[in-house]
Amino acid sequence: MKTPILTFTLSILLAVAARAELKWEQNIIELHPSAGDKQAVAHFKYENVGKTAVHFKSVKASCGCTATQTQKEVVNPGEKGEVTATFNIGDRTGQQVKTITVQTDDPNPTQATMILTLKANIAQALEIKPTFVYWTSGEEPKTKKISLKAAKEFPAKDITIKSNSQNFESKIVPGKPGEWTVEVTPKDTSHPMGTALLIQTDYPKEAPKSFYVNAQITNPMPPPMLRAPVQSNAPAVKTATPAAIPSPAAR
Amino acid sequence: MKFRAVGEAFVILALACLPAIGEGFYFRDKASWQSPIPESELVTVDQARAWGSGAIWVDARPDNEFAADHVPGAFSLNEDRWNELLRQFLPNWSPDKKVVVYCSAQSCNAARDVAKRLRDEAQLKDVFVLKGGWEEWGKKNR
Repeated sequence: MKTPILTFTLSILLAVAARAELKWEQNIIELHPSAGDKQAVAHFKYENVGKTAVHFKSVKASCGCTATQTQKEVVNPGEKGEVTATFNIGDRTGQQVKTITVQTDDPNPTQATMILTLKANIAQALEIKPTFVYWTSGEEPKTKKISLKAAKEFPAKDITIKSNSQNFESKIVPGKPGEWTVEVTPKDTSHPMGTALLIQTDYPKEAPKSFYVNAQITNPMPPPMLRAPVQSNAPAVKTATPAAIPSPAAR
Repeated sequence: MKFRAVGEAFVILALACLPAIGEGFYFRDKASWQSPIPESELVTVDQARAWGSGAIWVDARPDNEFAADHVPGAFSLNEDRWNELLRQFLPNWSPDKKVVVYCSAQSCNAARDVAKRLRDEAQLKDVFVLKGGWEEWGKKNR
């Protein structure tokens, strides 16, 4: 009777003693890329504090925008290394949270899967609201306003605006320092057309930043009977046309 | 007697909470950073397909995945090239259309992020995220 108990106890003790364990220096890294940075790189450092080697089975990022790299496939006891996560910023703004799931052959299930988190706070240099204004075909060509506000860390004092379409007139109305209103007015709304308005700031002087606002004359609204049917269990559909603007069918 | 029973109930409740608190603390780094998408902002493949030409499909996946395959007629609109792709997408949008955004699967965040930018920045209405994403669309179309 004593032998099986002893064997069981010894096997447990040996398993614990021979454990593999990756100890991570940090599993959450917060980055603050500067305006103009194309990438943000996080280095997740680890050390094998166990007694056996650890093999990486997979390292997967939650987003196609993040590339991961391990320095080695096997981490021997006492060895140090890092998992590098390179986040491609692209045209993203605001706080971005991306996770990297690391799977190893650690027999302890709580240690075998590690979730690393990369947080990147991408400063929005110029807050533009809205970035899109539209009129439906035949609608009265009323002026629409877009507000622009420079971030504190982006001390732009002046902006310019350019359009590649003769059909849209745009005007900049300065407000408080670092704030502007852009007024956009179409000359003709009789048929669909659009333009991208290029907004340029005077900061940074050596490489002024560009932003875009889109203006569009959209297709006319079809009569209600021709619109796509909505299933009863579909999300509630609200009309996108402002109430004050009658649809072409109503005119 | 009554107070004793209430006291014992509290003790049992407190003891029951201990493992939960411990687990919450131990797995604090594994907590989800994203709140779930509200049901009102989700649409199923069947619902979206029933909208027919009243729906405009937006593929929020990276360029290479869109190039490999996508929902027929879908527009590529990802945050890697947001400004450029938005300019290509908007001329095809009209206020009567419902926008259905998808990424790889239910777990990906790209569709949610693109839908949010379309609502907040471009101020489009009727923007939905496809439940189950491209994976689910694939299952229903095989």
